[in-house]
Amino acid sequence: MHRANHHQALLLAYAGAILTATLVHEPRHLALGLLLVLILAGRQITRILLRTLRVVLLFNLTVSLGYVLLALLRHISPWDTLILINLRVLTLTCLTFLFIARVNLFQALGFSRTLTWLLVLAYSQALALKQVHEDFRLALVSRTPIRPSLRDRYRASAAAAAWLLDKGLAGAHQTALALRSRGFFDA
Amino acid sequence: MLELRDVDHRFNGNLALESVSLRVSAGERVVLLGTNGSGKSTLLKILDGLLTPTHGSYRYQGEDISPKRLRERGLNLRFRREVVLLFQNPDAMLFNPTVFDEIAFGPRQLRMPDVEERVRHWAQTVGVAAHLHKPPFSLSGGEKQKVCLAALLAVEPRLLLLDEPTSALDPRSTGWLVDFLAGLRITTITTTHNLSLAPELGRRALVLGENHRLLHDGPIEGLLGNLDLLLAANLAHVHKHRHGAVEHRHWHAHDWQ
Repeated sequence: MHRANHHQALLLAYAGAILTATLVHEPRHLALGLLLVLILAGRQITRILLRTLRVVLLFNLTVSLGYVLLALLRHISPWDTLILINLRVLTLTCLTFLFIARVNLFQALGFSRTLTWLLVLAYSQALALKQVHEDFRLALVSRTPIRPSLRDRYRASAAAAAWLLDKGLAGAHQTALALRSRGFFDA
Repeated sequence: MLELRDVDHRFNGNLALESVSLRVSAGERVVLLGTNGSGKSTLLKILDGLLTPTHGSYRYQGEDISPKRLRERGLNLRFRREVVLLFQNPDAMLFNPTVFDEIAFGPRQLRMPDVEERVRHWAQTVGVAAHLHKPPFSLSGGEKQKVCLAALLAVEPRLLLLDEPTSALDPRSTGWLVDFLAGLRITTITTTHNLSLAPELGRRALVLGENHRLLHDGPIEGLLGNLDLLLAANLAHVHKHRHGAVEHRHWHAHDWQ
């Protein structure tokens, strides 16, 4: 019970921190927030930072490039906006990875049966799809003695996407039926 | 033909295989038994060079099979041509627009001669010749599996690995597949948790236990007569029976007649 309360308190703190980071528009404050998150990460600082950079790099580069182009067209300086956006995304992503590393979501959402149920469904679906995706990838490796062409890779990706979509729809339908059968939709 | 030495495998720290050592000679028909989660599929993926053991070594035809060695074009080409794996989910293997292209994919990649003749031969052999111009996704589960088999056999492999090939088949398709595999003249390693099919799929049985270790490596008859081993591997179980007023308990492997 004590641990569950601890996880719920961290969930609340996380929600508050996300809201604050979204509302703060002063880059120095955001930089301080990022520093605080990294200090809280302790020994996991390198792992969390690398993971964050890997995830946000493409997104941040694309958005930054867009702002730079826009600023050039309008003859204004892009730096203030660029620093603010990049700092905010970095802080929010680092914070989320720190939260995932420290908090057991199942315990954090333990106060609501419905949320726990939905989390279980989402988690099990994600694990199943991850396994399936890995199988599709390995099957392509197994069947290609020489590096597959771009066309073959597109075809394999399209086949995997179509299969996952079908599977996802069928799974969602089954889940909805199971939930209905257990009275989830009853008033 | 192949040798595993003291192989361990872990996924994110979770044990999947432990201290597995085995040798398979050319022409052998091996059946790999074990319950769900015992590591059968992992073992097949290691044998197909798709996963690398966390510890231990794998040699195929005297060559070390490791990610570094498989980056050598010559070895990779030979290995991928000679060792093929039928995945448990045939959909994972199908991505070409037609059944013809699916079967022709391997031979085309390897620039083998007579691709069209080869495709027609294997399509005829497995019984999908009538579907050659259909998209593979439009076929039934059993037909998809036949297409996958034809696609794998069209590159003339020396070692065929089959992951639970009968798990999604109806009895008629299962019968066809067992007969078909019995007629192949190549080395096969087939996983199953179906005891009744095991003697049909191989003369030599390997059993993976729930502790992810090899519990048995020997003739299939030695396994089927060893109740303690079957119970230890969770391939048989004990449960209650009621005959009128009398209740008793004895062991079962329900699929084994």
